[in-house]
Amino acid sequence: MEAVLWYVLTGTRGGPNRVRLLQAINERPRNANQFAEALDLDYTTIRHHLEVLIDNGMVRKSGGDYGAVYLTTEQVDHHWETVETISEQVE
Amino acid sequence: MAPLQADPGIWPTVARVSVTLNALLLLALGALWARNYWQFRSKHTLGLFVFSLLLLAENVLALYYYMADPTLATWFATAVPAIAWRAMMLLHVLETVALVFLTWVSWD
Repeated sequence: MEAVLWYVLTGTRGGPNRVRLLQAINERPRNANQFAEALDLDYTTIRHHLEVLIDNGMVRKSGGDYGAVYLTTEQVDHHWETVETISEQVE
Repeated sequence: MAPLQADPGIWPTVARVSVTLNALLLLALGALWARNYWQFRSKHTLGLFVFSLLLLAENVLALYYYMADPTLATWFATAVPAIAWRAMMLLHVLETVALVFLTWVSWD
């Protein structure tokens, strides 16, 4: 998980935005629309980042397709210190 | 003057195109990791950035040897037989495939 967190959050093009998104999810689970508004990003961008985070086991989806809410996984909660270390530098 | 070797065929061209592609992919990856390093200041992004720089240097040097170095370029163009070109070309093409995959996973 450590290595995945480092690569997905700091080694990739969308990394910095994914750090912000992951923090927002941890702060309070919300749906994609609300994250788009909170982070001032495109809805499709948010959807893309959510997919990547889900693919890597960092975020899970709860509820139906429409208005589904996104939450952090236990794995990520377990390694939240690493996320904190990474996000120290992002706004 | 020694007689020219048999024409090495397409392999020198494939090798040069492949090395050029490697350099371009590494420039893109290097820019991405430099930007992320600027933001995160972590040793991980620094490592990725330095790695891309050194591999970029390797490819730029190869291109220089093949095309511009006063001694080596002539030698590569006239005296290197097809079997040697084919062997070197394969190394460059494998690196291109590796870099395409790395770019693919890093670009999202």
